[in-house]
Amino acid sequence: MMPLLEFDRVGFDYGEGSLLNNISARIYENDCIALVGRNGIGKTTLLRLAAGILAPNSGDVRLKRSALRSLKRREIARSIAFVPQNVEIPFSFTVEQFVAQGRTPFLKMFGGLGSADREAMERAMALTDTSFLRSRAFNELSGGERQRVKIALGLAQQPQLLLLDEPMQHLDIGRQFEMIDLIGTLHDEGIAILASMHDLSLIEGVFPSVWLLSQDEAMRQGSPREMLQPKLLESAFHCSLRHRHRLMEHIRNRMEQAI
Amino acid sequence: MAHEIAGERTSIARGRAQEDRQRWLLPILVVLLALAMLVALGMGAVPLPVRLLMESAVGMRQLSDDQRTILLAIRLPRIFAAALVGSGLSVSGLLFQGLFRNPLADPYVIGSSGGAVLGASLGVFLVPAVSIAGFGTTAVLAFAGAMGSIMLVYWLASVNGRTPVVALLLAGFAVSTMLSYSSYFLEVLDHDFGQGMHILSSWLHGTIAQPTWPQLVIVAGMLALGLAGSVPLARRLNTLALGEEYATHLGISVQQTRIAVIVIGSLLTASAVALGGLISFTGLIIPHILRMMLGPDHVRLLPATALAGALFLLVADTTARTVIAPAELPVGVLTAFIGGPFFLYLLRKARREVLS
Repeated sequence: MMPLLEFDRVGFDYGEGSLLNNISARIYENDCIALVGRNGIGKTTLLRLAAGILAPNSGDVRLKRSALRSLKRREIARSIAFVPQNVEIPFSFTVEQFVAQGRTPFLKMFGGLGSADREAMERAMALTDTSFLRSRAFNELSGGERQRVKIALGLAQQPQLLLLDEPMQHLDIGRQFEMIDLIGTLHDEGIAILASMHDLSLIEGVFPSVWLLSQDEAMRQGSPREMLQPKLLESAFHCSLRHRHRLMEHIRNRMEQAI
Repeated sequence: MAHEIAGERTSIARGRAQEDRQRWLLPILVVLLALAMLVALGMGAVPLPVRLLMESAVGMRQLSDDQRTILLAIRLPRIFAAALVGSGLSVSGLLFQGLFRNPLADPYVIGSSGGAVLGASLGVFLVPAVSIAGFGTTAVLAFAGAMGSIMLVYWLASVNGRTPVVALLLAGFAVSTMLSYSSYFLEVLDHDFGQGMHILSSWLHGTIAQPTWPQLVIVAGMLALGLAGSVPLARRLNTLALGEEYATHLGISVQQTRIAVIVIGSLLTASAVALGGLISFTGLIIPHILRMMLGPDHVRLLPATALAGALFLLVADTTARTVIAPAELPVGVLTAFIGGPFFLYLLRKARREVLS
């Protein structure tokens, strides 16, 4: 099977020492992957590379065998949607106007929204359960609503791959459950997902695979059961043995809460 | 909770009301502009009753030669000039607000008007005979001046692709003050050009002078070009509001769009300044009021802003030339008096939206 997106020995730095080194990984059509690693390790950077917003310093990121750097941004945005962590807009756009931005890569220079565009927007809002918010101002939404509307914008791009940067951040536990359900729904829709995740307790049962970034070693890939092991987490998150027990206790507690 | 639901309802109602307003606002603005032009034609040192104008238009009555001269050589050019200037300033204000991602940007506030005045003054002093070609040079130099100053302010005020209000206002203030005084400097340097001095001083106060028809044609051409160029930019500015990185991801080439906005906004500013000089606040107030009525979608705002700007400045200029007749008030003084307090009021009322 042809991978949807492929990292081929990708390296990247912002000019101050290498951040990501020799990353090779593949995302297939129905994948749903959690990207895990300590703060500052390069999770968001990896997502930006996957979206073609950043170009790697070495190696290639390929979308169905063609290097992202050789594709037009519009073409990339029709297959890959990137949902950033924070969006600040200076004007009070309505949710509908906000979601309509997802159609940008499909519009012609002078064209407006056509019926196909409207359909895609409606579907995106229906999937994220945000249709009823359409006339609300984006800036006045609560954190959970905002998160869903941001994903609706991404879905309006009708992507095959959705990149989510910390989708659970700043959500209360109820909104986290909504987000888990939404990720499940999108998975059922056949959209591949790569999401950076802060909270390890929310991974098992939601994401079938995990990519674990750590500083000194290559990126590890596997099931949550394989990846979320004390030993691996310890070296990835730089916590000493002394805290190991407390860490696992914490994770276990959160998992029990989630059930 | 009840309060929350009520808030939700008003917010939804506002979204729908904005869509409804969009439908009737454009035709109303067209009618109002036509009416204002008709009334303005009749007003001045020699009153021409609207009825007389209507009857002569359909050929029922003949105007006297004097009346005809007043109408065709004085009033009509002045009215067109006011409308063109208002339109140019308002649309460039709209574009700059989108570019800076900041509802406080305006060609006067950010110094691009000042740059245009300096450029235009150079034109007047370098090409002393204000011929058609001379005016053409003036317009080109005004354009260059507007573009230079906005690029400078943009460079000074942007922090990671955003322009915080304070940085924008400070950079704009510094640049426009510098530019205005360098125009005065020109004045001091050169005592010989009586004509140039007169034009310069009226520019610095914001007076719509008595334009000739060829001047009007040049400016109308620039304005038409600018408006046509704004059409494909409007949607891009919506996307740019999401931020540089997000817009890039969605397939907008941010750098190209910025350059296009700067070029077209400067063209519009220059066309306005070439006829009217430093007219304050118009480019800030008009898009702002319309944004409150129609919401922030630039595609919706563009035609409404062009029309409302023309209407506003036509009314302001007609007031300026009749309120202390036979003397004239510079229209820039009037817009500062109306616009300043109104803007402060808006700033207080919508502090959250404006300053966030």
